[in-house]
Amino acid sequence: MKPLKSFFRLIKGLFVPDRSPVSALQEEALQTPAKTIVKNFLRQKLGILGVLGFIAMLMFSFVGSNLKPIDLSYVETTLRNIRPGRNYLKYPAALERDGVSNISSGVSFSIGLSEKGDVYVWGREPAYVLEGVSTSVLRVPESVRAADIVMVVAGDRHALALDSTGRLHGWGFNNFQQAEAPVQLAAKLSAKPVKQLIADEAYSAVLFEDGELYVWGSVMNNRLDSIPAAIQGRIVKVAPSAHNMALLLDDGTVAVIGIRGNPFSQVPGQLQDGSTRVVDLIASYRAVLALDDRGQLYMWGDVQYDVLAIPDFSGKIVAMDSGKNNMMLLLDTGRVIYWGGNHFNQLALPAAMSNSNVVEIYTEMFQSYAVTDTGKMFAWGNKGFVFGTDEFGRDVLTRLIHGGRISLTVGAIAVVISVFIALFIGMTSGFFGGWVDMVLMRFTDIVTSIPFLPIAITLSAVLGGRVSQTQRIYLIMVIIGVLSWTGLARLIRAQILLEREKDFVLAARALGVKQKNIIVRHILPNVFNLVIVSITLSYAGSLLTEAGLSFLGFGVSTPTPSWGNMLQGAQTSAVMQYYWWRWLIPGLFVVITALCANLIGDALREAMDPKANEK
Amino acid sequence: MLRYIIKRLLSLIPVIIIISMLLFALLKLMPGDPVRLMLGPGLRAEEYRAAEIVMRAKLGLDRSYPEQYFLWIRNTAQGELGWSTLYNRPVIEAIREPMKNTIMLNVVVIILQLSITLPIGIMSAVKRGSRFDSFWQVFSLITYSMPSFFVALSLIYIVAFRFRLLPPGGMPLSTIGTGAAYYVSLMRYMALPAITLIIISLAGTIRYVRNAMIDALSQDYIRTARSKGLREKVVIYSHAFRNALIPISTIVVFSIFSLFSGSAITETVFSWNGIGRVLVRALNNRDFMLVSAMNLFFATLGITAQLVADITYGLVDPRIKLE
Repeated sequence: MKPLKSFFRLIKGLFVPDRSPVSALQEEALQTPAKTIVKNFLRQKLGILGVLGFIAMLMFSFVGSNLKPIDLSYVETTLRNIRPGRNYLKYPAALERDGVSNISSGVSFSIGLSEKGDVYVWGREPAYVLEGVSTSVLRVPESVRAADIVMVVAGDRHALALDSTGRLHGWGFNNFQQAEAPVQLAAKLSAKPVKQLIADEAYSAVLFEDGELYVWGSVMNNRLDSIPAAIQGRIVKVAPSAHNMALLLDDGTVAVIGIRGNPFSQVPGQLQDGSTRVVDLIASYRAVLALDDRGQLYMWGDVQYDVLAIPDFSGKIVAMDSGKNNMMLLLDTGRVIYWGGNHFNQLALPAAMSNSNVVEIYTEMFQSYAVTDTGKMFAWGNKGFVFGTDEFGRDVLTRLIHGGRISLTVGAIAVVISVFIALFIGMTSGFFGGWVDMVLMRFTDIVTSIPFLPIAITLSAVLGGRVSQTQRIYLIMVIIGVLSWTGLARLIRAQILLEREKDFVLAARALGVKQKNIIVRHILPNVFNLVIVSITLSYAGSLLTEAGLSFLGFGVSTPTPSWGNMLQGAQTSAVMQYYWWRWLIPGLFVVITALCANLIGDALREAMDPKANEK
Repeated sequence: MLRYIIKRLLSLIPVIIIISMLLFALLKLMPGDPVRLMLGPGLRAEEYRAAEIVMRAKLGLDRSYPEQYFLWIRNTAQGELGWSTLYNRPVIEAIREPMKNTIMLNVVVIILQLSITLPIGIMSAVKRGSRFDSFWQVFSLITYSMPSFFVALSLIYIVAFRFRLLPPGGMPLSTIGTGAAYYVSLMRYMALPAITLIIISLAGTIRYVRNAMIDALSQDYIRTARSKGLREKVVIYSHAFRNALIPISTIVVFSIFSLFSGSAITETVFSWNGIGRVLVRALNNRDFMLVSAMNLFFATLGITAQLVADITYGLVDPRIKLE
């Protein structure tokens, strides 16, 4: 029992101060220099703040990068330059209350039509290429609010709504006039009923009840607007994708129009010759899924994101819908089957949903919604991005986490290299003196007169092209380390020369202490204090240097993120002006980390200063 | 004094030799064949082979590295820095304008920086612990932790885009002439890069001046001066500041040097047509003759800074000359 008791006493001693009286002499003896320094340091609020802030940054980067893995090759340009926000799935309560008629999603927003005919839009504004040509997709136009809307659809960045009088309203991204109905179409709309509204990234389309399909917008490269005469007027359903459309015809066969020769257009033979009757058809970005009248599924297209791997299930399919890289089925048992890409947690179906009977499903892009028989709504998929996205639609938060890991590591190793060189040169110079000192100090002079930034970027450009990406990161560490040790080396030398002349060294010598012991026990401790302070301060410096080099494009190179190279894309005025989160947030992370390191360094210097104790 | 300067000059010789060797090595390390670059496309294979030998001999590339080094030194000394492929004219002509711009910008910055930092540093030291002192302590701590591009981007965002007070970057139009309108326009374009450089260099100098003054003010001769009944102004400026000048002068010289070589980032962000930006452009366009000319300029500046620092040290501190 005894060891256990003393163990507890030890633990207790860590938290509860020992109150047993100690005489002044004892206390004097108890207080080692290291203890004094720690004690002094703990007295400084700013220093503590610096330590806490720095630990927070370390946790953010090193723990975060394990929790949130990064796929460096993944880009999703439709999600580019979206401002911070995590409300993509926050559908209005009124929509759930009134009952859902339809929900359709764009890249970062969704549009909903309630049973009462009210139109709701929620989410974040996507980035438009030309401000002025497009209107905000989040702001539902007055004309839409006033009209009796019967159908809505969302494209990637625009929305269309059809009212009961046959008028088509469009708003949002309009660079290809895809958000306004052409004159020719308006006449048709007033003459015959509409079966399906279609909107994709750059084009829009209307399918009429009589089987005619009308496409407009940007169709120059895929010629989707020229529908072959053989199928025009026989179309029952349209499954759109960026470059193709899969069409279900009235005889149950499938045709694909648009760009030829890609996997999307390779329709299986039995779906074309009339031997199978297809009843429903959906398309993701690069794949098509068809259902025949016997309940059999057919799938073709690109294998990307495992979208072709249909999971096993039992039950009758009652509805199907598709996201950008996903497919979704609703079974008669009320179960939802969902598969495909999972970069935005699209596959994380709400747990509560498995106990309820889903009757309607809506999925598009990366957002999914389901409505149960009791009218309750479920939403899952892409919630949004806390810090927005960059020019390739990559999550800024994820890149910050992983960039932090790189930046903090590069800074640390660069400092280690520079401190090693400085210690070696400074100590050799200080202890040996004479010609060794002279040669080393001349050498230090030479390195001091090397212009840091110009030579660093030249070296990085000249050598960086010949090495791999990982080696380039090492190269940056070495360049920063090798060019930035001179100040510390001089300081160490000066300190050693200073300490050597002090009285306590003389006293030690007079007492007959060996030369080696004088150096190790009397001089070095005083030098090391200096080194520790200098390490923290120059850590901040090398963090800033790495950021500067990467900012200019001579540091860590993309797609590997670093805090500096995340700002590299921010040199255009469009980014500075409109996409502020792309430079402000990584910039603030650099500033905060450097500030924390500087606070720690300052507090350490104060704590180690013997004069500070006298106060 | 003259002896001291000569001694300093002599001790610079090894520095110059080694730095020049480093620059030469960097030049040789650069990828790409200068002969092919000079000859350009459009030659048939046999024509090219003949022309290559002639050009190689003309450029001295057929000789050994030590010979090439001395050739390079001779050419550099005569101002023959090679041909810039980026600007399509001799390097020496291509860098004249940017060099003027960089020097102009930095001179403005240095004058403003010193006239701001010296009074603030002195005041902070004199009123140590006051609200004024703590404000500047906090200010310098924060700006010290800021990368220059962050300061630059923030200024552009606030001043140029939010309030539309100044242009976000660039240089005055050449059509504006050289009259008063030109100088007004020049000042408008120069304002933001100058403010950026001042903000980032402020912190270091204020701290250094403050510490030097605090050291000087704690000396015995200050107590003596005060007990003699001298006015506080005389004590501070005549006794303390003069002695504080010794360490300050060195740091000022080196801060000027690092200002020049560090302005590449600021110049790039603001599209200020200075040598830092030209260096970045030259590197991105693989114009390596231009790159080595730039590095030569910066290295010369570095060595000069070293020399100037030594000489001013000798000038302000009479003890140095006696050693």
